[in-house]
Amino acid sequence: MTDRDMNERLLRLNAALDGELDAMASLGFEREMRDDPAFAAEYRRLAALRDAVRRHAPREAAPPALADRIAALAAPTPPVPASQTAAAPETVVPFRRRAWLDRRALAVAASFAILGFAVGAGLTSLRSPSAADAVAQRLVADFARAEIAGQPFDVASSDRHTVKPWLAAHATISAQIADLAQEGFTLEGGRIAVVDRVPAPTLVYRKREHLIAVTELPATLARSRGAGAIDTVDGFHVARWSDANLSYVAVSDIDENELAAFAEAFRAAQKPAGESPAR
Amino acid sequence: MSSPIAEQRFREIVPPLLDDAYSLAKWLSQSPTDAEDIVQDAALRALQALSTVSVDRPKPWFLAIVRNAAMTFMARNRRKTVAYAGDLSDLDALDLRQGDDAAPNPEQELIAYEDGERLRQAIAGLPPPFLETLVMRDINGLSYRDIAEATDTPVGTVMSRLARARAMLAKTLRAKA
Repeated sequence: MTDRDMNERLLRLNAALDGELDAMASLGFEREMRDDPAFAAEYRRLAALRDAVRRHAPREAAPPALADRIAALAAPTPPVPASQTAAAPETVVPFRRRAWLDRRALAVAASFAILGFAVGAGLTSLRSPSAADAVAQRLVADFARAEIAGQPFDVASSDRHTVKPWLAAHATISAQIADLAQEGFTLEGGRIAVVDRVPAPTLVYRKREHLIAVTELPATLARSRGAGAIDTVDGFHVARWSDANLSYVAVSDIDENELAAFAEAFRAAQKPAGESPAR
Repeated sequence: MSSPIAEQRFREIVPPLLDDAYSLAKWLSQSPTDAEDIVQDAALRALQALSTVSVDRPKPWFLAIVRNAAMTFMARNRRKTVAYAGDLSDLDALDLRQGDDAAPNPEQELIAYEDGERLRQAIAGLPPPFLETLVMRDINGLSYRDIAEATDTPVGTVMSRLARARAMLAKTLRAKA
């Protein structure tokens, strides 16, 4: 065997170990494992070494103080008057982002106006960010990011039987997928949101040019405060509700009434037949 | 000063990768305190970069920044581990064959692998290009393609460095067994 062959062989052993062989190469590899005991033995030694490295040199958790310092670098800024919010981006943002940001600033300004109204109307719980609000904030950020990236879903399909198994393979919660086509909300696909490091299935529906993302969470993560309430976070609307097992957070740029209608339809679609839709 | 978008992206991307970043920095610098400085520096760089770039694949992107921050840090502070005397291409060209000294006694070898302290020392003793490749693969769990991106190296080189890193580890552990 030439040196070159020996090198090839070693590279192939390593690539197989790291799951980097394609289907055809895997076929050849399996054959070689079967036919060449020395090759198989070499593979087992390499695997033992790799396993030992993972066991004895595991990934370490960053010290909490470091995590705090990092988080502080980009801590969400406390609410400021809308006028300042609108003015601030002008000074720091490159030219080509301006138009988009101005729209965003408007949305933020609008959200504060609505927030002010909501607080005035007596929903004082909006003031103090609770854990559930942090979850909503996070899902709104997710939604905004997906829109900016132009990738609102990881699996694109209007077929429930395609989306559900994909989500099931990537999340620990089995997603309940409602068919809302008759109500005008078509299923577009699904993605995974990560909340408190737990992968949570997220369904993406479309109505006209608007997307609605519904994330299903363990009930402990996002307790709803009564059905029907729509909050506004960073200019996006958020609806929350729960059933016996799960909490649901829907985020959208669609208007409040339509989001409320969506939430109602989604809840109704999930009730077992025969049960009254009213609570 | 960073933009609100950059800060939002930062909150999405960086905190979930902190353990990976810290582990990589710690292996590269071989010091917990240096690792904290490196990660903090990398986070600042990431925050600045996020004003102008959006990121498809956060993990190789951020670990590349951590790796470069580590190199800068080590060079600035003249840490000796960064120094690799010799031409890298020599190392990459080295024959991967383990030679006759391999003549393995499988059981002894397995026992050697289970001495965690020695194994960690052997890893720490790898020359930096091999160390970073091994850490990114086996500790950070990056794919070959991600490692190639994070280290700005062709995939073929990543493959040979990884194979060589593992061969060196096995040889070191065998030699002391």
